[in-house]
Amino acid sequence: MKGSCSSVSNLLERYFDHEVTENEKALVEEHLPSCSTCQETLKLMGGIRDVMRTPVEEALQGEDFQRVWQHVDREIRLRESPPWWESVWLNLPNLLRRRIWVPAVAATIALVLVIAPLFLKKTSSYPGSSDIEYVQSQDYNVMVYQSDKATVIWLLDGKEEGAGTS
Amino acid sequence: MNILSFFPSKNKNLENPEEADLISRCRKGDQDAFKEIFDRYHKRVYRIAYGMVRQKEDARDIVQEVFTKLFRSIQDFRGKSKFYTYLYRMAVNTTIDHTRKMGKFSAFSLDEEGAFEPSGEPEQRPDRIFLRKELEGKLNLALEKLPPDQRMALVLREVEGLSYQEMAEAMGCSIGTVMSRLHYARRRVQTLLKDYLKEGKTI
Repeated sequence: MKGSCSSVSNLLERYFDHEVTENEKALVEEHLPSCSTCQETLKLMGGIRDVMRTPVEEALQGEDFQRVWQHVDREIRLRESPPWWESVWLNLPNLLRRRIWVPAVAATIALVLVIAPLFLKKTSSYPGSSDIEYVQSQDYNVMVYQSDKATVIWLLDGKEEGAGTS
Repeated sequence: MNILSFFPSKNKNLENPEEADLISRCRKGDQDAFKEIFDRYHKRVYRIAYGMVRQKEDARDIVQEVFTKLFRSIQDFRGKSKFYTYLYRMAVNTTIDHTRKMGKFSAFSLDEEGAFEPSGEPEQRPDRIFLRKELEGKLNLALEKLPPDQRMALVLREVEGLSYQEMAEAMGCSIGTVMSRLHYARRRVQTLLKDYLKEGKTI
């Protein structure tokens, strides 16, 4: 039985694209000889395919792909030895995906916690590298001033000092 | 029996061991292997690019960008999908991005390099060439009015000859979506070119 035009027209596009089953193909091919509308539709689709394909194939023939490769090759070589910050940036997605960032971040935080107090330690307000220490005992009070150039030690009587300051 | 088995995909050879070896070498940074990949696939990428943008210079830029991206990202290709799917998807995305950046392409900008050379062949006669260029201009106008996804569906099918399944993989959508995009694209192009094609102004 020949399929109706409406039922076959739904298959025409898939028939044209070779995406129908054998049964569907038989149905369309049985209907086509007697239907000028469906023939016209197929012809139109074929025309569009030709119009689209021909200029592309012509453009393809006239291309110098060796030159395109040279550009690609140059780009690749430039990318082969990028600066370190660019390497890190480019590899960031991979690093994040591989989850090695978890121990890396933990190690960085630990390092910061160890180093930070060293930098935050109070330093002398005297110019240059110098230090003053003051040691108190029962008998004597000792004050030591140390700098790059000299060391000065004051030995003070503890009782007198204590009396003096009180 | 599935009709697809009667129309074997031209891409089936992409799954062979030789290609797997080539990709493996590329992943190790072997540039000779990458050159071979370029030689195998550059025309396919070019067809997609030129089919979409209709400008030689832009098509070349897209090919260059796709293969540069491919070299950088081939390390991440684990073979979960077929290589051609991976490459086509990259080509599709790069081309669509490029199209969006360009905005509307010039419908009547015929490439200087595409200028005709007089010849005795009927296809090369000036009157035929004039009709052909006129039709190409009309086609470009029709394509310009399509959303990039629909235009891409038309290019992948009509120019590159991909199956619905391959198109779905390349475009990252379902076969139903592919059919729908293709249908609307064809209908709109047919409406605009109907008169020309009926009058026999074929190229």
